Amino acid sequence: MGLPRYAAARAAQTLASFFILVSIAFFLFRVMPGDPTAFLLESPRIHPLTRELLRRRLGLDRPLHEQFFVYMANVLTGELGYSLYYGRPVVEIIFGRRMLNTLALVGSSTAAAIAVGLAMALLSIRRYGSRVDSSLTAFSLVTYSIPTFWLGMMLIMLFSVNLRLFPVGGTITATRAHEGFLDLLADYLWHMTLPFVVLTLIQLGYNFLIVRNAMLSILQEDFVYVARAKGLSESAVVRRHVFRAAMPPFVTIVGLQLAGIFSGAVMTETVFSWEGLGRLMFEAVSTRDYPLLQGLFILILVAFLVANYVVDLLYAYLDPRVRLR
Amino acid sequence: MRSPEALRILLRNPYGRLGLAVLAALVAAAAVGPHATPYGVWQYGVCRPFEPPSLSHPFGCDEIGRDLLTLFLYGARVSLFVGFLAAALSTLLGALLGLLSGYFGGPLDVVLMRVVDALLAIPSLVLMIIFAAILGPGLFNIVLVISILSWPPVARVVRSQVLSLKEYPHVEAARACGAGTARILAKHIAPATLPLVVANMVLQVSNAIIAEAALSFLGLGDPRIPSWGGILRFAFRMGAVSAGYWWYVVPPGLAIALAVLSVTFVSYALDEIVNPKLRRH
Repeated sequence: MGLPRYAAARAAQTLASFFILVSIAFFLFRVMPGDPTAFLLESPRIHPLTRELLRRRLGLDRPLHEQFFVYMANVLTGELGYSLYYGRPVVEIIFGRRMLNTLALVGSSTAAAIAVGLAMALLSIRRYGSRVDSSLTAFSLVTYSIPTFWLGMMLIMLFSVNLRLFPVGGTITATRAHEGFLDLLADYLWHMTLPFVVLTLIQLGYNFLIVRNAMLSILQEDFVYVARAKGLSESAVVRRHVFRAAMPPFVTIVGLQLAGIFSGAVMTETVFSWEGLGRLMFEAVSTRDYPLLQGLFILILVAFLVANYVVDLLYAYLDPRVRLR
Repeated sequence: MRSPEALRILLRNPYGRLGLAVLAALVAAAAVGPHATPYGVWQYGVCRPFEPPSLSHPFGCDEIGRDLLTLFLYGARVSLFVGFLAAALSTLLGALLGLLSGYFGGPLDVVLMRVVDALLAIPSLVLMIIFAAILGPGLFNIVLVISILSWPPVARVVRSQVLSLKEYPHVEAARACGAGTARILAKHIAPATLPLVVANMVLQVSNAIIAEAALSFLGLGDPRIPSWGGILRFAFRMGAVSAGYWWYVVPPGLAIALAVLSVTFVSYALDEIVNPKLRRH
């Protein structure tokens, strides 16, 4: 299969995933809790007739399949309704400051976790079986087991409360007038440090273990013996041959992991009051803001489906064997 | 492989021994603890608010003067119960769907695998939060939410093993002898997937414990008896973190980490059973 055909096949699969997930959202938000007016107008002070009128205006008196088509049309045209809590269009709340804050936090920590994770794996594989190797492995297993939000709470207690080095939470110091852009940026980065450390740490162990295991299996391949036989030093073998061959699987894993990173961001942003999409999701749950929750869900799934698609194409480009399946 | 032999291999591995020991200690605390403590979960005013640890209250006290050790022991029950039950249910569901999908193929397989792809593509915690928010907080709701959203990876690995198993000579021989589909599945295919299913269930336990903690921290857990994650929610909301009351924050989080780590160790040791090539002789 050539790359264009592979791209088309994966695109069809991605579209199928999109329709499955959007349909799940429809049934979750419309069918399970009765209908949307149930939680809007549960109050006994609201006259049943008012509720009936609203139901008609929102189209909830129509048959379910008709509602489903209207919903699909709305989703496809980017019409995601109004937030109950903010009273503003959902799209407007999500696209803007909130999204930028999440991108800054998740982007920087993912990049850092990849760089440090690769460096750790290289170090570990060069001294395979040594004490360095086993302590790095143990460290990774431990960071993998710690709940994200608890790690955040512990860091706040240690570095913000006891040592007073970092703020307890928030995105910028609201009570202070900032002198120019650089001052604002410094304040922003100061607030981002602890959440950045948390998100980096929880990704680090995983990256390390994946690359280390991939390199371990590659070490037994014939081309590694050839490289050694032609007299290359062990570190050159690892750097030029083993490391390179371990990259394609790593790219896919990073792609698959994106979903997990966002889950981590929800918890981290909640603990650090970081004004991003993860925190917004927590707020939408706490205030029972169902339209906002649904809008967030649809945007998150679109973002992840697109990201997965891009990663798969990248992998197929790097490793032509994938396309043959 | 018979189970006594599996247990022996597990105990021969130092990771397996350590993991099982820690897990057994936590389970014992959950089983016996609530009977051993003189206080109830909602019995407040037994000590001063936010009292530091002392001999009479080794874990200190919370904001309304509840004994934190008592909360910890009851919390162990909820966290471990949800973890094990949700893991068992999701593994069962995944194994069953993987078995059917792999053996019968056809439209069922296509639809199921598309659903698996879709569910694996997006953050599972996000879906869990939404499901839990709509169902409302509760012990069984949280078990339901976790198990209904955690089966896809199990289904995928079991399916791929069944795909190769159904071509094996002994399965063909059984079919040639006139064995029915149900008999082939129950006698020849399902038992062969068992090691893989057990290994996956162990992974599911640690995932379920972490997921339960996260959902409870967000306020979507059992409102009657707080789990370890639920205790951390109280600690966070009542300002124990910003006041530096470490005794409120450290034990529940450490317990979650220990539970997950010990389960990970067990699964590490189980690798030997699932991949006999790794076994030392």
